[in-house]
Amino acid sequence: MNFETTIETGNISTLHVEGKILGNATDTFRKEMELQLQTGRDKLVVDLTNVSLIDSSALGAIVTTLKYCQQSGGKLVLLKPQKAVQEVLEVTQLATVIEIYDTEEAARAAFS
Amino acid sequence: MAETILVVDDDLDILELLKMNLEPEGYKVQTASDGDSAVQSACTDPPDLILLDVMMPHKNGFQVVEELKDIEETKNVPIILVTARGQTEDKVRGLDTGADDYITKPFDLREVTARVEAVLGRTRPIKYINPLMRAMGDGFSEKGLEQLAGHLQAAAAIQKKLLPEQAPNIDGFDIATLLQSSTSVSGDFYDFIPLSETQIGIVLGDVKGSGIPAALLMVMIRTALRLLCHEEEAPASILKRINDLVVQDTEADLFATMIYGILDTTDSTFTYSNGGHCYPFHWTQDRNITRLKTGGMLIGAFKEATFTTDFCLMAPGDIIAFYTDGITETGIGDNTNSEGNQSIATSPESDDSNEDAILTDIFYGGDRLAACLSENTSLSASALCEAIVEDLARFSGSTQTHDDRALIVIKRDV
Repeated sequence: MNFETTIETGNISTLHVEGKILGNATDTFRKEMELQLQTGRDKLVVDLTNVSLIDSSALGAIVTTLKYCQQSGGKLVLLKPQKAVQEVLEVTQLATVIEIYDTEEAARAAFS
Repeated sequence: MAETILVVDDDLDILELLKMNLEPEGYKVQTASDGDSAVQSACTDPPDLILLDVMMPHKNGFQVVEELKDIEETKNVPIILVTARGQTEDKVRGLDTGADDYITKPFDLREVTARVEAVLGRTRPIKYINPLMRAMGDGFSEKGLEQLAGHLQAAAAIQKKLLPEQAPNIDGFDIATLLQSSTSVSGDFYDFIPLSETQIGIVLGDVKGSGIPAALLMVMIRTALRLLCHEEEAPASILKRINDLVVQDTEADLFATMIYGILDTTDSTFTYSNGGHCYPFHWTQDRNITRLKTGGMLIGAFKEATFTTDFCLMAPGDIIAFYTDGITETGIGDNTNSEGNQSIATSPESDDSNEDAILTDIFYGGDRLAACLSENTSLSASALCEAIVEDLARFSGSTQTHDDRALIVIKRDV
């Protein structure tokens, strides 16, 4: 897994993740989202365009962050999950509570 | 008294810029332009935080972190690393070495201030506790550790008592269970609750999160279920009530997935609902295996979660199997492979086996589990559990498990 976080206008953090979010990498993924929240950035876009697979602890990291965001009045949205990831979101029915967008523009517009 | 920040960078312009930016925020700023003078300055007059560039000649930022973590005076000083953009390995390595946060270059000055304040906010309380712990001597920490170990053992013992020792004997059915824990307190659990002469409640679940908080949540869910299953009939209503209870009472990082169902021996129906758990399998006499997909969202995360009840008919010889993701997410070479070795298995369940094919390289997966089940349907329920454990060991090349694994097999007598 590789990632890069960019901060955009409106204080929106976008995590561009690449590869598979599995095992030990989920800790790094979780920590990165935590760091954003700790620095007061609770508007998060997780860009899954280039993520081929996530495991249940990565899913746990997303759920936890989503809950913290909700509590603080912030928001977390997902960008373009691929098929394998989309299926995990459907099994857990997370797809019904988390906003999912197809384009960066739409994801950013979710915060306005 | 103003907090002191030591800024280290070989670029003098950046040093000046950071100093100009941090001083108006009320911090006292010291500077150093190479690793050696940074270590020296930090030892002579330990700052409250160090802002440290990674890319420096002679001694780089990682080496400086390692040195500082070895020195008594500086080992608790929080460090924020400044890395080049996109160097994920640097970030991970930095956090592993003991840095507290990182900033990527080129940076936004407002971000620097925000991260500095966030790290100081987090480490301030520790600074005041540490001298107190030191003053109390090593005996304190050893005793503390002993106490903690004792509590963990007690939690494990309580948990063990709560799990049924053996599967119940039900006329006309053969039921077996399996639980392998990776740590002393397990996140996976199951329970059997007699509801009437002819009905039994069956639950299999997986509490996410770890340690004592997760164990407490498991106990809470189990207790709630034991009470509610006598009040409500529909499994979906029971899951909804448990969800609402857990959402209210727990922290954001605790939640669970679970399946609850009622096996009725008068008409051989299994009526169930599923809270975000891996889909159970139903193997039928015509050699078909299907996933039972009705359910709802994971438990305890969202108050708006909804659940649906469904049922299936068990013909003579039919098998239903529930499992936790510790089984399907078993990795190849489970203790050496750094990706995917630790957990679990919410492998995306799909009826399209091509989709699952991508996963079979990494995870045991739902399809292989379905195949193993289908090949061993003539076995008794407990022998079938064993066959699955053996197949997992064949796949991973190890008998060790890095996540909890639980399995329930229900087979209707022919």
